[in-house]
Amino acid sequence: MLLTGPAQRLMARMHRFRRAPREALLVWQAVSLGGVLAALSLAPASVAGFREAPTWLVWLGLLIAAAMVARLLWSGHTVGSGIRADRRRHRDLVDLLGTHADPVHGTQVRVLAHPTPTAYCLPGLRRRVVLSEGALAALPADELTAVLAHERAHLRARHDLVLEFFTVLHRSAPPWLRAPEALREVRLLIEVLADRAARRTAGEVPLARALVTLARGVHPQEALGAGGGSGGESTTVARMALLAQPTAGFGMRLVMTAFGLVVVAAPVILLVMTLV
Amino acid sequence: MARKSINRLGELERAVMETVWAMTTPERRTVSVREVHQALSTGRDIAYTTVMTVMGRLAEGDLLSRQRSGRAYLYAAVGTREELTASTMREQLNTVNAEDRRAAILHFLDDASADEISELKAALAEVEARQAGSIGKDSKGVRR
Repeated sequence: MLLTGPAQRLMARMHRFRRAPREALLVWQAVSLGGVLAALSLAPASVAGFREAPTWLVWLGLLIAAAMVARLLWSGHTVGSGIRADRRRHRDLVDLLGTHADPVHGTQVRVLAHPTPTAYCLPGLRRRVVLSEGALAALPADELTAVLAHERAHLRARHDLVLEFFTVLHRSAPPWLRAPEALREVRLLIEVLADRAARRTAGEVPLARALVTLARGVHPQEALGAGGGSGGESTTVARMALLAQPTAGFGMRLVMTAFGLVVVAAPVILLVMTLV
Repeated sequence: MARKSINRLGELERAVMETVWAMTTPERRTVSVREVHQALSTGRDIAYTTVMTVMGRLAEGDLLSRQRSGRAYLYAAVGTREELTASTMREQLNTVNAEDRRAAILHFLDDASADEISELKAALAEVEARQAGSIGKDSKGVRR
Protein backbone atom coordinates (compact mmCIF):
# COMPACT_ATOMS: atom_id res chain seq x y z
CA MET A 1 0.00 0.00 0.00
CA LEU A 2 2.87 2.25 0.80
CA LEU A 3 4.18 1.71 -2.70
CA THR A 4 0.99 2.74 -4.46
CA GLY A 5 -0.17 5.90 -2.74
CA PRO A 6 2.32 7.76 -0.55
CA ALA A 7 5.50 6.49 -2.17
CA GLN A 8 4.37 7.57 -5.60
CA ARG A 9 3.32 10.99 -4.42
CA LEU A 10 6.71 11.41 -2.84
CA MET A 11 8.54 10.20 -5.92
CA ALA A 12 6.66 12.61 -8.13
CA ARG A 13 8.33 15.38 -6.18
CA MET A 14 11.86 14.14 -6.72
CA HIS A 15 12.66 16.17 -9.77
CA ARG A 16 16.29 15.15 -9.77
CA PHE A 17 15.30 11.81 -11.25
CA ARG A 18 14.10 13.52 -14.39
CA ARG A 19 17.67 13.82 -15.55
CA ALA A 20 17.83 10.08 -16.03
CA PRO A 21 14.47 9.52 -17.71
CA ARG A 22 15.10 5.94 -18.76
CA GLU A 23 16.07 4.76 -15.29
CA ALA A 24 13.37 6.88 -13.71
CA LEU A 25 10.75 5.17 -15.82
CA LEU A 26 12.21 1.83 -14.84
CA VAL A 27 11.91 2.75 -11.17
CA TRP A 28 8.34 3.89 -11.70
CA GLN A 29 7.42 0.66 -13.36
CA ALA A 30 9.15 -1.30 -10.64
CA VAL A 31 7.39 0.58 -7.86
CA SER A 32 4.00 0.10 -9.47
CA LEU A 33 4.63 -3.54 -10.19
CA GLY A 34 5.93 -4.03 -6.65
CA GLY A 35 2.77 -2.37 -5.36
CA VAL A 36 0.59 -4.68 -7.41
CA LEU A 37 2.48 -7.77 -6.29
CA ALA A 38 2.31 -6.68 -2.67
CA ALA A 39 -1.41 -6.05 -2.93
CA LEU A 40 -1.96 -9.42 -4.55
CA SER A 41 -0.02 -11.32 -1.95
CA LEU A 42 -1.55 -9.43 0.97
CA ALA A 43 -4.59 -11.68 1.38
CA PRO A 44 -2.87 -15.08 0.89
CA ALA A 45 0.02 -14.02 3.10
CA SER A 46 -2.13 -12.89 5.99
CA VAL A 47 -4.06 -16.14 5.81
CA ALA A 48 -0.82 -18.10 5.83
CA GLY A 49 0.15 -16.18 8.94
CA PHE A 50 -2.37 -18.22 10.95
CA ARG A 51 -1.36 -21.66 12.06
CA GLU A 52 -3.71 -24.24 10.68
CA ALA A 53 -6.00 -21.75 9.03
CA PRO A 54 -9.44 -23.14 8.28
CA THR A 55 -9.97 -24.05 4.66
CA TRP A 56 -12.58 -21.35 4.08
CA LEU A 57 -10.11 -18.68 5.16
CA VAL A 58 -7.52 -19.92 2.68
CA TRP A 59 -10.13 -19.82 -0.05
CA LEU A 60 -11.17 -16.32 0.98
CA GLY A 61 -7.58 -15.13 0.72
CA LEU A 62 -7.18 -16.62 -2.71
CA LEU A 63 -10.54 -15.23 -3.74
CA ILE A 64 -9.52 -11.70 -2.80
CA ALA A 65 -6.30 -12.05 -4.80
CA ALA A 66 -8.27 -13.45 -7.75
CA ALA A 67 -10.70 -10.53 -7.58
CA MET A 68 -7.77 -8.11 -7.77
CA VAL A 69 -6.37 -9.89 -10.80
CA ALA A 70 -9.79 -9.78 -12.43
CA ARG A 71 -10.09 -6.08 -11.77
CA LEU A 72 -6.66 -5.46 -13.24
CA LEU A 73 -7.42 -7.47 -16.35
CA TRP A 74 -10.78 -5.80 -16.75
CA SER A 75 -9.40 -2.28 -16.55
CA GLY A 76 -6.60 -3.35 -18.87
CA HIS A 77 -9.17 -4.50 -21.33
CA THR A 78 -11.40 -1.41 -21.16
CA VAL A 79 -8.57 1.10 -21.23
CA GLY A 80 -6.75 -0.76 -23.98
CA SER A 81 -9.70 -1.27 -26.27
CA GLY A 82 -10.88 2.31 -25.76
CA ILE A 83 -7.48 3.64 -26.70
CA ARG A 84 -7.24 1.42 -29.75
CA ALA A 85 -10.72 2.33 -30.98
CA ASP A 86 -9.99 6.06 -30.60
CA ARG A 87 -6.72 5.65 -32.40
CA ARG A 88 -8.15 3.64 -35.27
CA ARG A 89 -10.95 6.14 -35.83
CA HIS A 90 -8.58 9.04 -35.75
CA ARG A 91 -6.11 7.36 -38.06
CA ASP A 92 -8.82 6.65 -40.61
CA LEU A 93 -9.81 10.32 -40.52
CA VAL A 94 -6.25 11.49 -40.86
CA ASP A 95 -5.61 9.12 -43.76
CA LEU A 96 -8.73 10.33 -45.44
CA LEU A 97 -8.25 14.04 -44.92
CA GLY A 98 -4.52 14.45 -44.66
CA THR A 99 -2.19 14.97 -47.55
CA HIS A 100 1.07 13.11 -47.71
CA ALA A 101 3.93 15.28 -46.67
CA ASP A 102 7.10 15.75 -48.60
CA PRO A 103 8.57 12.24 -49.03
CA VAL A 104 11.72 13.41 -47.23
CA HIS A 105 9.71 13.47 -44.02
CA GLY A 106 8.79 9.82 -44.39
CA THR A 107 5.76 7.88 -45.57
CA GLN A 108 4.03 7.86 -42.20
CA VAL A 109 3.63 11.61 -42.05
CA ARG A 110 0.24 13.17 -42.82
CA VAL A 111 -0.52 16.86 -43.10
CA LEU A 112 -3.87 18.31 -42.08
CA ALA A 113 -4.99 21.46 -43.87
CA HIS A 114 -5.53 23.59 -40.77
CA PRO A 115 -3.88 26.83 -39.64
CA THR A 116 -3.54 25.89 -35.94
CA PRO A 117 -0.01 24.58 -35.49
CA THR A 118 0.05 21.12 -33.97
CA ALA A 119 2.16 18.00 -34.11
CA TYR A 120 1.33 14.58 -32.70
CA CYS A 121 1.66 10.90 -33.40
CA LEU A 122 -0.66 7.92 -33.44
CA PRO A 123 1.28 4.94 -32.10
CA GLY A 124 0.61 1.35 -33.02
CA LEU A 125 1.35 -0.99 -35.86
CA ARG A 126 0.03 1.41 -38.48
CA ARG A 127 1.65 4.45 -36.97
CA ARG A 128 1.27 8.01 -38.17
CA VAL A 129 2.92 11.32 -37.48
CA VAL A 130 0.45 14.13 -38.01
CA LEU A 131 1.37 17.75 -38.66
CA SER A 132 -0.94 20.64 -39.44
CA GLU A 133 -0.21 23.07 -42.23
CA GLY A 134 0.05 25.68 -39.50
CA ALA A 135 2.91 23.73 -37.94
CA LEU A 136 4.69 23.34 -41.27
CA ALA A 137 4.38 27.07 -41.87
CA ALA A 138 5.61 28.01 -38.41
CA LEU A 139 8.57 25.65 -38.13
CA PRO A 140 11.84 26.25 -39.96
CA ALA A 141 13.55 23.13 -41.32
CA ASP A 142 15.77 22.42 -38.32
CA GLU A 143 12.92 22.79 -35.84
CA LEU A 144 10.76 20.50 -37.96
CA THR A 145 13.54 17.93 -37.88
CA ALA A 146 13.53 18.16 -34.09
CA VAL A 147 9.75 17.72 -33.90
CA LEU A 148 9.82 14.73 -36.24
CA ALA A 149 12.69 13.16 -34.33
CA HIS A 150 10.70 13.59 -31.11
CA GLU A 151 7.61 11.92 -32.55
CA ARG A 152 9.60 9.11 -34.15
CA ALA A 153 11.26 8.39 -30.82
CA HIS A 154 7.80 7.95 -29.29
CA LEU A 155 6.77 5.58 -32.05
CA ARG A 156 9.97 3.59 -32.13
CA ALA A 157 10.21 3.02 -28.40
CA ARG A 158 6.45 2.39 -28.07
CA HIS A 159 6.14 4.95 -25.28
CA ASP A 160 2.41 4.57 -25.63
CA LEU A 161 2.63 1.09 -24.09
CA VAL A 162 4.40 2.47 -21.03
CA LEU A 163 1.74 5.11 -20.68
CA GLU A 164 -1.01 2.56 -21.19
CA PHE A 165 0.48 0.33 -18.51
CA PHE A 166 0.36 3.18 -16.01
CA THR A 167 -3.11 4.27 -17.05
CA VAL A 168 -4.35 0.72 -16.43
CA LEU A 169 -2.71 0.53 -13.01
CA HIS A 170 -4.03 3.96 -12.16
CA ARG A 171 -7.54 2.92 -13.04
CA SER A 172 -7.39 -0.37 -11.16
CA ALA A 173 -6.25 1.17 -7.90
CA PRO A 174 -9.05 2.23 -5.56
CA PRO A 175 -9.63 5.99 -5.92
CA TRP A 176 -8.20 6.88 -2.49
CA LEU A 177 -4.94 5.17 -3.39
CA ARG A 178 -4.51 6.71 -6.83
CA ALA A 179 -1.71 9.17 -7.36
CA PRO A 180 -2.48 11.46 -10.28
CA GLU A 181 0.91 13.08 -9.78
CA ALA A 182 2.49 9.75 -10.66
CA LEU A 183 0.69 9.53 -13.97
CA ARG A 184 1.65 13.10 -14.76
CA GLU A 185 5.27 12.44 -13.88
CA VAL A 186 5.38 9.35 -16.10
CA ARG A 187 3.93 11.38 -18.92
CA LEU A 188 6.65 13.97 -18.45
CA LEU A 189 9.38 11.32 -18.36
CA ILE A 190 8.20 9.92 -21.67
CA GLU A 191 8.39 13.37 -23.21
CA VAL A 192 11.85 13.91 -21.77
CA LEU A 193 12.99 10.61 -23.27
CA ALA A 194 11.72 11.64 -26.69
CA ASP A 195 13.32 15.07 -26.22
CA ARG A 196 16.65 13.38 -25.56
CA ALA A 197 16.35 11.52 -28.85
CA ALA A 198 15.39 14.71 -30.68
CA ARG A 199 18.29 16.55 -29.09
CA ARG A 200 20.70 13.92 -30.37
CA THR A 201 19.35 14.26 -33.91
CA ALA A 202 18.62 17.94 -34.20
CA GLY A 203 20.48 19.67 -31.39
CA GLU A 204 19.01 21.31 -28.32
CA VAL A 205 18.55 24.82 -29.69
CA PRO A 206 16.24 23.83 -32.58
CA LEU A 207 14.27 21.62 -30.21
CA ALA A 208 13.92 24.40 -27.65
CA ARG A 209 12.86 26.80 -30.37
CA ALA A 210 10.31 24.33 -31.70
CA LEU A 211 8.75 24.08 -28.23
CA VAL A 212 8.37 27.85 -28.08
CA THR A 213 7.18 28.15 -31.68
CA LEU A 214 4.41 25.62 -31.20
CA ALA A 215 3.41 26.87 -27.75
CA ARG A 216 3.07 30.35 -29.21
CA GLY A 217 1.05 29.00 -32.11
CA VAL A 218 -1.55 27.49 -29.82
CA HIS A 219 -1.90 30.71 -27.84
CA PRO A 220 -1.30 33.43 -30.42
CA GLN A 221 -2.37 36.22 -28.10
CA GLU A 222 -0.15 36.28 -25.08
CA ALA A 223 -3.18 36.60 -22.86
CA LEU A 224 -2.45 37.64 -19.32
CA GLY A 225 -4.18 35.63 -16.65
CA ALA A 226 -6.43 34.01 -19.23
CA GLY A 227 -5.50 30.33 -19.54
CA GLY A 228 -4.78 29.88 -15.86
CA GLY A 229 -3.07 26.54 -16.36
CA SER A 230 -3.62 23.41 -14.34
CA GLY A 231 -1.77 24.64 -11.29
CA GLY A 232 1.94 24.07 -10.95
CA GLU A 233 4.33 24.14 -13.85
CA SER A 234 3.29 22.52 -17.09
CA THR A 235 5.26 19.69 -18.61
CA THR A 236 6.45 22.00 -21.35
CA VAL A 237 8.20 24.33 -18.93
CA ALA A 238 9.74 21.37 -17.13
CA ARG A 239 10.96 19.90 -20.41
CA MET A 240 12.50 23.18 -21.39
CA ALA A 241 14.40 23.34 -18.12
CA LEU A 242 15.61 19.76 -18.54
CA LEU A 243 16.83 20.38 -22.07
CA ALA A 244 19.73 22.29 -20.70
CA GLN A 245 20.77 19.64 -18.19
CA PRO A 246 23.00 16.68 -18.93
CA THR A 247 21.94 13.11 -18.29
CA ALA A 248 22.54 11.99 -14.71
CA GLY A 249 25.80 10.28 -13.85
CA PHE A 250 26.36 6.54 -14.06
CA GLY A 251 26.36 6.05 -10.29
CA MET A 252 22.96 7.56 -9.81
CA ARG A 253 21.54 5.56 -12.68
CA LEU A 254 22.95 2.37 -11.20
CA VAL A 255 21.43 3.13 -7.80
CA MET A 256 18.06 3.82 -9.40
CA THR A 257 18.14 0.56 -11.34
CA ALA A 258 19.10 -1.38 -8.22
CA PHE A 259 16.31 0.28 -6.26
CA GLY A 260 13.86 -0.75 -8.95
CA LEU A 261 14.93 -4.38 -8.71
CA VAL A 262 14.68 -4.41 -4.92
CA VAL A 263 11.20 -2.95 -5.00
CA VAL A 264 9.93 -5.69 -7.29
CA ALA A 265 11.78 -8.45 -5.49
CA ALA A 266 10.77 -7.47 -1.95
CA PRO A 267 7.08 -8.46 -2.07
CA VAL A 268 7.93 -11.72 -3.80
CA ILE A 269 10.51 -12.63 -1.18
CA LEU A 270 8.18 -11.63 1.66
CA LEU A 271 5.39 -13.76 0.26
CA VAL A 272 7.63 -16.77 -0.17
CA MET A 273 8.94 -16.35 3.36
CA THR A 274 5.47 -16.28 4.91
CA LEU A 275 4.28 -19.21 2.88
CA VAL A 276 7.23 -21.50 3.50
CA MET B 1 0.44 -8.55 -47.91
CA ALA B 2 -2.54 -7.75 -45.74
CA ARG B 3 -1.16 -4.31 -45.12
CA LYS B 4 -1.03 -3.58 -48.81
CA SER B 5 -4.70 -4.32 -49.36
CA ILE B 6 -5.62 -2.14 -46.37
CA ASN B 7 -3.65 0.74 -47.77
CA ARG B 8 -5.33 0.38 -51.11
CA LEU B 9 -8.68 0.42 -49.44
CA GLY B 10 -7.68 3.66 -47.73
CA GLU B 11 -6.77 5.13 -51.09
CA LEU B 12 -10.11 4.10 -52.48
CA GLU B 13 -11.95 5.73 -49.59
CA ARG B 14 -10.07 8.94 -50.29
CA ALA B 15 -10.96 8.78 -53.97
CA VAL B 16 -14.63 8.16 -53.21
CA MET B 17 -14.82 11.00 -50.69
CA GLU B 18 -13.12 13.35 -53.11
CA THR B 19 -15.55 12.40 -55.84
CA VAL B 20 -18.53 12.94 -53.55
CA TRP B 21 -17.18 16.34 -52.52
CA ALA B 22 -16.55 17.28 -56.14
CA MET B 23 -19.95 16.18 -57.38
CA THR B 24 -22.15 17.68 -54.71
CA THR B 25 -23.14 21.33 -54.48
CA PRO B 26 -25.42 23.21 -52.10
CA GLU B 27 -28.20 22.81 -54.68
CA ARG B 28 -27.58 19.13 -55.27
CA ARG B 29 -26.49 17.50 -52.07
CA THR B 30 -26.72 13.78 -52.83
CA VAL B 31 -25.15 11.32 -55.25
CA SER B 32 -25.83 7.70 -56.05
CA VAL B 33 -23.30 4.87 -56.12
CA ARG B 34 -23.78 4.67 -59.88
CA GLU B 35 -22.76 8.31 -60.37
CA VAL B 36 -19.68 7.92 -58.18
CA HIS B 37 -18.76 4.71 -59.96
CA GLN B 38 -19.07 6.41 -63.34
CA ALA B 39 -16.87 9.29 -62.28
CA LEU B 40 -14.26 6.97 -60.77
CA SER B 41 -14.10 4.49 -63.62
CA THR B 42 -12.89 7.14 -66.06
CA GLY B 43 -9.57 7.11 -64.23
CA ARG B 44 -9.30 3.49 -63.14
CA ASP B 45 -10.65 0.01 -63.57
CA ILE B 46 -13.03 -0.44 -60.69
CA ALA B 47 -16.07 -2.63 -60.02
CA TYR B 48 -19.45 -1.15 -59.17
CA THR B 49 -19.77 -3.43 -56.16
CA THR B 50 -16.41 -2.22 -54.82
CA VAL B 51 -17.61 1.37 -54.89
CA MET B 52 -20.82 0.29 -53.19
CA THR B 53 -18.88 -1.49 -50.43
CA VAL B 54 -16.57 1.46 -49.86
CA MET B 55 -19.48 3.88 -49.68
CA GLY B 56 -21.25 1.60 -47.24
CA ARG B 57 -18.14 1.59 -45.05
CA LEU B 58 -17.89 5.36 -45.18
CA ALA B 59 -21.53 5.61 -44.15
CA GLU B 60 -20.85 3.30 -41.20
CA GLY B 61 -17.91 5.48 -40.25
CA ASP B 62 -20.18 8.54 -40.19
CA LEU B 63 -18.45 10.25 -43.07
CA LEU B 64 -21.31 9.83 -45.50
CA SER B 65 -25.00 9.93 -44.71
CA ARG B 66 -27.42 7.91 -46.74
CA GLN B 67 -31.11 7.86 -47.44
CA ARG B 68 -33.16 5.37 -49.34
CA SER B 69 -34.45 6.40 -52.74
CA GLY B 70 -36.41 3.68 -54.46
CA ARG B 71 -34.22 0.61 -54.72
CA ALA B 72 -30.91 2.36 -54.10
CA TYR B 73 -29.35 4.67 -51.55
CA LEU B 74 -28.48 8.31 -52.09
CA TYR B 75 -25.36 9.50 -50.32
CA ALA B 76 -24.20 12.86 -49.03
CA ALA B 77 -20.98 13.89 -47.30
CA VAL B 78 -21.65 14.80 -43.65
CA GLY B 79 -19.34 17.78 -43.98
CA THR B 80 -17.03 19.51 -46.38
CA ARG B 81 -13.40 18.58 -46.31
CA GLU B 82 -12.68 21.72 -44.31
CA GLU B 83 -15.37 20.94 -41.75
CA LEU B 84 -14.12 17.40 -41.24
CA THR B 85 -10.54 18.61 -40.93
CA ALA B 86 -11.61 21.14 -38.32
CA SER B 87 -13.46 18.50 -36.31
CA THR B 88 -10.48 16.14 -36.55
CA MET B 89 -8.28 18.90 -35.17
CA ARG B 90 -10.74 19.53 -32.35
CA GLU B 91 -10.92 15.86 -31.49
CA GLN B 92 -7.16 15.64 -31.41
CA LEU B 93 -6.78 18.68 -29.17
CA ASN B 94 -9.51 17.44 -26.84
CA THR B 95 -7.78 14.17 -26.05
CA VAL B 96 -5.23 16.18 -24.08
CA ASN B 97 -7.88 16.72 -21.43
CA ALA B 98 -9.26 13.20 -21.23
CA GLU B 99 -7.33 11.17 -18.70
CA ASP B 100 -8.01 7.73 -20.18
CA ARG B 101 -7.61 8.74 -23.79
CA ARG B 102 -4.27 10.40 -23.48
CA ALA B 103 -2.34 7.30 -24.39
CA ALA B 104 -4.17 7.18 -27.72
CA ILE B 105 -2.41 10.19 -29.16
CA LEU B 106 0.98 11.50 -28.11
CA HIS B 107 1.36 15.22 -28.63
CA PHE B 108 4.57 17.08 -29.18
CA LEU B 109 3.30 19.83 -26.92
CA ASP B 110 1.27 19.01 -23.87
CA ASP B 111 -0.23 21.79 -21.91
CA ALA B 112 1.65 25.05 -22.01
CA SER B 113 -0.74 27.76 -20.91
CA ALA B 114 -0.73 31.24 -22.34
CA ASP B 115 0.89 32.59 -19.17
CA GLU B 116 3.86 30.33 -19.52
CA ILE B 117 4.98 31.49 -22.91
CA SER B 118 7.11 34.30 -21.54
CA GLU B 119 8.66 31.80 -19.15
CA LEU B 120 9.37 29.48 -22.08
CA LYS B 121 10.94 32.29 -24.03
CA ALA B 122 13.25 33.14 -21.16
CA ALA B 123 14.30 29.51 -20.90
CA LEU B 124 14.94 29.39 -24.63
CA ALA B 125 17.17 32.44 -24.42
CA GLU B 126 19.12 30.66 -21.71
CA VAL B 127 19.54 27.51 -23.81
CA GLU B 128 20.65 29.59 -26.79
CA ALA B 129 23.11 31.59 -24.74
CA ARG B 130 24.69 28.51 -23.25
CA GLN B 131 24.92 26.86 -26.63
CA ALA B 132 26.59 29.95 -28.09
CA GLY B 133 28.99 30.01 -25.16
CA SER B 134 29.88 26.33 -25.25
CA ILE B 135 30.40 26.08 -28.98
CA GLY B 136 31.90 29.50 -29.45
CA LYS B 137 33.78 29.27 -32.72
CA ASP B 138 31.23 26.98 -34.35
CA SER B 139 28.49 29.60 -34.69
CA LYS B 140 25.80 27.05 -35.47
CA GLY B 141 23.75 27.91 -32.42
CA VAL B 142 22.47 31.44 -32.84
CA ARG B 143 20.64 32.63 -35.86
CA ARG B 144 17.79 34.77 -34.75
